[in-house]
Amino acid sequence: MGKKIIKKRVPVRERPVEERLKGFMEVPYGYNEDEAIAEAKRCLQCPKPTCIEGCPVNIDIPGFIKAIAERDFERAFYILKKDDPMPAATGRVCPQETQCEVKCVLGKVGDPINIGKLEAFVADWARKNNIKDKPEIHERPQKVAVIGSGPAGIACAVDLRKMGYQVTMFEALHKAGGVMQYGIPEFRLPRDIVDYELKYLEELGVEIKLNTFVGLHIPCEEVREKYDAMFIGTGAGAPRFLGIPGEELKGVYSANEFLIRVNLMKSYLFPEYDTPIKVGKHVAVIGAGNVAMDATRSARRLGAKVTIIYRRTKKESPARIEELHHALEEGVEFMELVNPVRILEKLNQVRGIELIRMRLGEPDSSGRPRPIPIEGSNFVLEDIDMVIEALGTRPNRMFLDRAPFIARDKWGIIQVDEHMRTNQPDIFAGGDAVSGGATVIRALGEGRIAARSIHEYLTKK
Amino acid sequence: MAHEIVRNEPLNYQDYLVAIRAPEVAAKIKPGQFVVMMLHDKGERIPMSVRTTEGDAIVMYIRKVGKTTHQLIDTPVGGTIKHVIGPQGQPLKIEKHGTVVIATDSVCGHAWSYSVAKALREAGNYVIDIQCFADEKEVYPEWALNKNVCDEHHVMTKDGSVGEKGHYTTLIKQWLAEGRQIDFIYAGGELIKLKHLARITRKYNIPTWVEAHQLMIDASGMCGACRVFVGGEMKLTCIDGPFFDAHKLDFDSMINRYSTYAAEEKIALERYLAQKRG
Repeated sequence: MGKKIIKKRVPVRERPVEERLKGFMEVPYGYNEDEAIAEAKRCLQCPKPTCIEGCPVNIDIPGFIKAIAERDFERAFYILKKDDPMPAATGRVCPQETQCEVKCVLGKVGDPINIGKLEAFVADWARKNNIKDKPEIHERPQKVAVIGSGPAGIACAVDLRKMGYQVTMFEALHKAGGVMQYGIPEFRLPRDIVDYELKYLEELGVEIKLNTFVGLHIPCEEVREKYDAMFIGTGAGAPRFLGIPGEELKGVYSANEFLIRVNLMKSYLFPEYDTPIKVGKHVAVIGAGNVAMDATRSARRLGAKVTIIYRRTKKESPARIEELHHALEEGVEFMELVNPVRILEKLNQVRGIELIRMRLGEPDSSGRPRPIPIEGSNFVLEDIDMVIEALGTRPNRMFLDRAPFIARDKWGIIQVDEHMRTNQPDIFAGGDAVSGGATVIRALGEGRIAARSIHEYLTKK
Repeated sequence: MAHEIVRNEPLNYQDYLVAIRAPEVAAKIKPGQFVVMMLHDKGERIPMSVRTTEGDAIVMYIRKVGKTTHQLIDTPVGGTIKHVIGPQGQPLKIEKHGTVVIATDSVCGHAWSYSVAKALREAGNYVIDIQCFADEKEVYPEWALNKNVCDEHHVMTKDGSVGEKGHYTTLIKQWLAEGRQIDFIYAGGELIKLKHLARITRKYNIPTWVEAHQLMIDASGMCGACRVFVGGEMKLTCIDGPFFDAHKLDFDSMINRYSTYAAEEKIALERYLAQKRG
């Protein structure tokens, strides 16, 4: 007791806005050793740490922070890795402000500990110093197929392989990583981090089969026959559209298309890379979640003026605070309480968007106030030449159509119990395929739970 | 992982037969399906029709249009490309309809029409195959046409320099006016002509399915770039298509959005050709 409380966080140095907008470099520079230690020393080391409860995978947060404070970064790394297979990614993309940090006792009197940045610091330090878990693997003969190479699949594959199972990971695209490859831009998650994790997977002996869409290129039944168990981490990669008039026009994109072009195909480097991207002078991004922020900030970096169109207010935005903050810093206009009615055209090209004003009503099933249209309040936002719809995604129906024996709800979300077991004894699932769209950390956690359940299933079998 | 080019032969001054080793695709592809190719790590993913298979290779007809097709055709036999992904899309339902017309006026149409004609004929249909070209210079050598997989074969040129003069739309229109029995039509190629065909056959209520063309990136249902509107409903060409009922397909919006990247495609091609010249 008697520890002096330091209310203010050690500030995070960030790339200046003008420099950010010139490319896709990561925005925060990250803590250096001294900054990390200073921030770690603020931690009160609560005897009953509430931050751990806030973490979906229950990382020993005070434990790794204590190790940082003692300058034992290697110990900090192994504490993190015990529960989180990819701390370099989660440190950057987790919504800490609604998970661990919101529970931090320091938050009541000042800034909560910057757990995310400390996590990223430790993981980056380990990567730079080539510190990694090199488990001794006792081989087992059973084979497990992991469908999808995103966070859920990676977490599941790593654990299963460490237990000695023969793991093959199937990826539909030409690059592994799932949403970390096609969805999240490099200024939030540099690709050397993703590549490093994938390399680690291969070093462990996980076989990665790219360009293989299970269900389309290989029947699900065939995979089921060849493998003793199957994990489905196919994500929620299918876009949603508003279904309003004008979506057929030139200049209308799903956020998925825009981000796949930019991230997976590196179209921001066209013509060095062959896939082009055309960005309007004034882009309207519909939605205010993380994907909307990613699209917004990518469009800014490609030189467009951007207006976010959101039917609620900033306060209800489901985006990470840091993303919203960075987007606003980068000069984005945010229109609150408006909803698109139709997209207007001129010569088959987007020219504007008709909006209706909204007001907030009683909370809906999401717990946020329900937006209600105000009759007769329609108006036109002129001079918009590109519309990006970031309305959330849903599981890819092509996989589900070809695996009819797996129980799912009417939206195509795979039904699992708390052990990530589906209705089929040999099939397990996790990540966005079972949540419809959540977080990287939740997917990692579910992949790990599934690995334990698969182990249990295979040892009993 | 790389895929070897095993044949690369000119069909005319701009179209080539290219066969690429892709054992897993060749073993599974069915008439109506397509593949996605990516030549190298910086390449684009492009959808491509498949004519047939030869052993563990897929055989395609490819026109030098943009950078990627130029670069592919410039890759000699023995050279490799990075990714061949497939089969993509829905296979066509091969049923006995009676008399079926297969009509094409483009390089990709000349490719897929071969396996579709062959399968439909084997299913007991009387298959009429119409292959249209601009002129004599463009007509393929006989071995590369669909003559041996159909019951009746027509070559047409715009200028009449080879075969019959005109376009499949004129021939089909004439047949229908004369009362010739046609039970089903499959067509592909220039979108504006397909739209015209749909107008003709709608009048006679002849089921007509056409190959849609739309921008495509992942080609597995993720990006939504290839959305088209069929009977007012949004469909994805990559996973619901590529063939759709021509009487329900909204051609105008498809044609419009398909040209979104025309300027960029030109830039990429010019840059490639300049680099090639040194």
